[in-house]
Amino acid sequence: MKATVKSFIEHAMIALYPRTDALPGIEDAGISEFLDRYREESTLLMWLGLIAGAFAFIASPILTVHWPLPSFLLPARVLDEHAHRVTSSQLYLLRQAIFLIKLAAGLCWGAHPAVRAHFAMAPYAPDPGTWRAS
Amino acid sequence: MSHVAFRERGEDLRLEADYVVVGSGAGGAAAAVTLARSGAEVAIIEAGAWRDPEDYPSSTYGAMRDLFDDWGTQLARGRALWPIVQARTVGGTTVINSAICVRTPGDIFAQWQRERGIEGLAERVWAHQDTLERELRVEEVPEPARGNSNRLAMLGASRAGYDSHWIRRYVAGCEGTGQCLQGCKKTRKQSTNLNYVPEVLARGGHVVSSAPVKRVAIEGRRAIGVRGRFEHPRTKAWGADFFVRARRAVVVAASVTHSPALLERSGVRSPALGKYFRAHPGTGVFGIYDEPVDTNTGATQGWASTAFRADPGLKLETLSIPFEMVASRLSGGGARLIERLREYRHLCMWCHAVRAESVGTVRNGLFDKPVVRYGLDREDMLRFRQGMILLAKTHFAAGAKKILPGIHGMPYELGPDQVSLLEDAPLDPRAYIAILSHLFGGCVMGTDPRDAVTDARGRVHGYDGLVVADASVIPSNLGVNPQHTIMALAMAFAEDLASE
Repeated sequence: MKATVKSFIEHAMIALYPRTDALPGIEDAGISEFLDRYREESTLLMWLGLIAGAFAFIASPILTVHWPLPSFLLPARVLDEHAHRVTSSQLYLLRQAIFLIKLAAGLCWGAHPAVRAHFAMAPYAPDPGTWRAS
Repeated sequence: MSHVAFRERGEDLRLEADYVVVGSGAGGAAAAVTLARSGAEVAIIEAGAWRDPEDYPSSTYGAMRDLFDDWGTQLARGRALWPIVQARTVGGTTVINSAICVRTPGDIFAQWQRERGIEGLAERVWAHQDTLERELRVEEVPEPARGNSNRLAMLGASRAGYDSHWIRRYVAGCEGTGQCLQGCKKTRKQSTNLNYVPEVLARGGHVVSSAPVKRVAIEGRRAIGVRGRFEHPRTKAWGADFFVRARRAVVVAASVTHSPALLERSGVRSPALGKYFRAHPGTGVFGIYDEPVDTNTGATQGWASTAFRADPGLKLETLSIPFEMVASRLSGGGARLIERLREYRHLCMWCHAVRAESVGTVRNGLFDKPVVRYGLDREDMLRFRQGMILLAKTHFAAGAKKILPGIHGMPYELGPDQVSLLEDAPLDPRAYIAILSHLFGGCVMGTDPRDAVTDARGRVHGYDGLVVADASVIPSNLGVNPQHTIMALAMAFAEDLASE
């Protein structure tokens, strides 16, 4: 069940930040490890938000590209169109749910060294995650 | 001196000091250091961990995890859901903000006197602001650290014919790394974890970190200390209980959202508690330029204009948000989003902060999370839209070839001859991706206990030994960045407290 939920989230994120000729996609940016870390470190509410966003993405092609199928069954071209249109849905709550998943995905994709290098930015140093303990 | 960090269950902490200060941000640290300088023993209780510059994160993910309150996911609930960004670390929001220093405008004190009977604060606040500017080495953004975005904004404002300026900040010798949001690893930004908090320790005080306060302990009508439970900085697991007794007073400076919620769950009775929440809602407009702007370099915020503070009620600023946030901020998804992001080096975002007149509320919610209800009325949305038009015109005056308004229902990009389309932009807040950047109220001050939580010295009406010293006491919208006002007010309140 957990693996299925994670694969749904990955599906939505990969559709939102796909690999292109110009840039690596989120699937090249360690998305699986990122989601494991996100699940462990973020709050339950944030994880539930991602799940809600993924399900909203999967269930909404009927509203965007008018295909009565879950998004993971769409042909690649139609899926890409869905990924674009769903971010500007007329339904505010759907838009917000997608924004949340797009934000989380952006944290993964945008921190990838190859992506940053493309935009003349140095790679991030590791986040130490430390604090003053005494 | 002592610093007590997270403690496991069973290692309960009992501590006593003359004054207990809840929160270590702009208000808490300024109040604490003032009390410590008077010779008192002060204990600062901070919900977040103490992270030194070598502990600061590099990535935006790390900043949200390590420095932001609740990962930055706190939302104001209204017609739209707009985020409230605050920090949860020793130093509070001064660690993650742009350290902008603006003296309290004189008209604000006149308004407070007229509307709330508050007198005699102006000269004292300005005197403390003199001290703050000296001690925290306030300076204008130096030329080498300005970066292209700030320079373009200055050029645009000049060509558009309105006054603007390089921002003065609590930053000494800015290197322009564009990392204000993640904490300044170069230690140039003078966040309070680098100066006033260590000074309190050096003067024999205490800092208890990773220690969210659950309740102010009140006996009869007197505050006698605070209770809470440690929270692990990484796992968020609960640790030991703590009780810190205050021999003389408890100073609450936990932020506009947390201070009213803390007083509410502590049983403080006031008809004004949680009311008069105000904010500077704002959003940004991207400009696209022919030449690379590389907005990630240079001061995060180096340019501003207060020319429209009185009419229509706006402040304009540059703001370089991290690349990861730009990725989610641009509309679209899939291959078209990636195509749009390819222009990143040519983009820069300038934003507005609306001096909104709308008011909301703050209440204590489930699991002690503050619940903010707030929405903009039509007049404020008109200001909001007007701000976007001004930003668009400034971009084009600076030479932008296109702007990205980011408004739902409008074209993705607009050219110079399409600015007039913004005049018909929707007034529905749900059409915008916005943020509440500066917060005020919830424990507002005033002379009438029926309409104010504290008096003009921050003392909670009807209670002894209980003072509020953060932006929650501010009863109006300043129209300028509030850190300088918060710190100076906190110092004035602490000075009064120490002299009692």
